[in-house]
Amino acid sequence: MKVSEKYYDEQFPFLGEWDMESLCGLKIRTVDGSTYVIVTELYQENPGTSVTYAGQKLRDQICHAKGLSADEIVYIECTPDTNSKLSFYDEEYYEVDFSADPQHRYRRLTTDEVKHILD
Amino acid sequence: MDTIKLKLIYPRWKKLPGQTTFTLPPHGPVAFAATLPEYVDIDFIDENVEDINFDDPCDLVALSTMLSTQVKRAWEIAAEYHKRGKKVIAGGISAMLHAEEYVNHVDSLFLGESEGRSEQVILDWKNGCLKKVYNYLGKQPPIESVGPCRRDLYKRELYNHKGVQMVDLFHASRGCRFSCYPCAVSYLGGRKFRPRPVDKVVEDMAGIDNNRLFIVDNSLAQDKEWEKELFRAIAPLKKKWISHTIEDDPEVLDLAAKAGAWYVYQAVYDTSDYIKERVKRYHDNGIGVEGTILLGLDNQTVDDCKRLIDFLGEIDLDLAEFTIMTPFPHTKAYDDYLRQGRIFDFDWNHYNAGQVVFKPALMTPDELQGVYEYAWKSFYASETQESKMFRLFCNVALREMNEGTYRPRNRALANKSFGRDVDRTVKTHQNAF
Repeated sequence: MKVSEKYYDEQFPFLGEWDMESLCGLKIRTVDGSTYVIVTELYQENPGTSVTYAGQKLRDQICHAKGLSADEIVYIECTPDTNSKLSFYDEEYYEVDFSADPQHRYRRLTTDEVKHILD
Repeated sequence: MDTIKLKLIYPRWKKLPGQTTFTLPPHGPVAFAATLPEYVDIDFIDENVEDINFDDPCDLVALSTMLSTQVKRAWEIAAEYHKRGKKVIAGGISAMLHAEEYVNHVDSLFLGESEGRSEQVILDWKNGCLKKVYNYLGKQPPIESVGPCRRDLYKRELYNHKGVQMVDLFHASRGCRFSCYPCAVSYLGGRKFRPRPVDKVVEDMAGIDNNRLFIVDNSLAQDKEWEKELFRAIAPLKKKWISHTIEDDPEVLDLAAKAGAWYVYQAVYDTSDYIKERVKRYHDNGIGVEGTILLGLDNQTVDDCKRLIDFLGEIDLDLAEFTIMTPFPHTKAYDDYLRQGRIFDFDWNHYNAGQVVFKPALMTPDELQGVYEYAWKSFYASETQESKMFRLFCNVALREMNEGTYRPRNRALANKSFGRDVDRTVKTHQNAF
C-alpha cells in the first residue's frame, strides 16, 4: 500500500504521540495569498503516529521547521488514494481548525477546492 | 536485593450478552511478569475470576490491561491503592491506546514491550525516582529476548469450566506487516512482522502444562517459510491449538493440520465463493472454523448485513462471532470517523465491539445495534453456542485420544465454573439480549 509520490513534495519526519518517530507527506502551496500546508498520511511507510492523531503537534512541528506562523496557514490533512479495492482507502482532503471541538474540527474539501489549491 | 511484593492486577470487564462466559488465562500480565527480576515476588490477581483485597499487603501495584473496556476499571483500582498510599504502575495494550488519559490516573505508565526494561522501573521505584512515563513505543526489544511467560502465577483452578481446563494463550510472533482498517496492532507492535526463533517457540510451548493452546498472534500468514518451519517443529509436541488466519496454501494447511491446528478464526467479510471455498479448504484439512464477522462497515446496509448473516448458514461454519465496528484509538477507522464527525460516544466502557459508538454510513446506530443482536440470535437459533462448542471440543478430544494425549476432565472441579459454583441455567442467544 505504497502512497504515490504525487501526493507530496517531501517526506517530513516528525515526533508523534509520546515522541514516536513518525513520517508524513508534505506539500506547501501559496495560492491567492494564502499558504496551504497539506500533510498526507503514508500508512505503512509511517512507523509512528497517524497525521490525524498527531494533529496540532504535527502542524506546530511543520510550522517550526518551515518558518511559518500557525495562525497564517490553512492546514489540510490528506488521506491518499492507495488503489485499494477497499473504499475506506479513497482520497479525501480535510481542512482542520484546531480551535474547534472534535465534532466541528474538520471540513471536507470539495474536488473544486482541492483543484484550486493544487492545480 | 530485598524482596519486593508486587500486586499484579488484570482488571475485570463486563462480558457482552452474546459472548460465552468462558474466561481464558490472560497473556499480557504473565508476559510482563516474565520480564521482572527474581527478587520481585508477584501476586497475580485476575479480577475476572477473583476479587481484589485492597488491604492485602504489598509494596507496589502493577495494572495490566488489554481491552479499552478495562481502562476505567483500572483507574478505579489505582484510586483505591492511592488511598492506601501505594504507588501504581501500568502497561499493556489498552494502556498504550489510551495513554494520554491513563497517565493521569497512575504513578507511572509503561509504553511498549517490557523485555530487558522492567527492572529499571522497579529500581527507579525503589530509589524514589519513578518516571511518569517509560516510553518505548516504536522501540521493540530483540524478538530473541522474548522468553516463556510466568504461567506459574495462574491459579489454575480458576480457569476451569466443569473440570475442563481452558486453553493457554501463547505467542509465536509480534508485530504485523498488515495495517487493517479497524486494527491498532501495527501502531502497538510495529509495522514489521517479528517472528520468534522457532527453537524458542518449541521450547516455550513444550513447557506449558496444557495440551490446548490459543496462538494469539494477529495472523500467522505473514511469512510462509517461517510458518511452515514453525508447523513442522511443533508437530511432535502433539499440542492442539486455535489461531487466527493461516496461509491459504495447500502445503501450509496440511502442515498446520499435522501440527495440531484445532480451529481458526477466519474473517467472513463478504458472500463470495472465495470465502466459501476458503472455509471448505480448512475443513478438508480437518481444521474447524470460527467465522469473525464485523458489522457496520461503511459499505454495508442493513440488508447487506442480513445477507452476510444468511450466508453463514451456507458455508458450514463451526462457530461465529459477531462484532460491531468500533473506532479504537490509533486505527484508521478512528481517524476517519473523527474527521467525519461521526464518533458520538467516547466512553471507553462502551468500546466493547458490541455497542455502537459511531454513526454508520448506510444505517442508523439503532439499526446497526439491531442487526448485531439479530446476527447472534439468528446464527445460534438452531443450535446453541455451547452445543456447537461442545462439538468442537469432542472433535479435539477424539484426536487427543487417538494420539494418547487426552487428559480426562478434573472431576473434583466438575461443579465449578471459573471458581464459582456451576450455574445450571441453560443460556441461549434468544434470551441473552
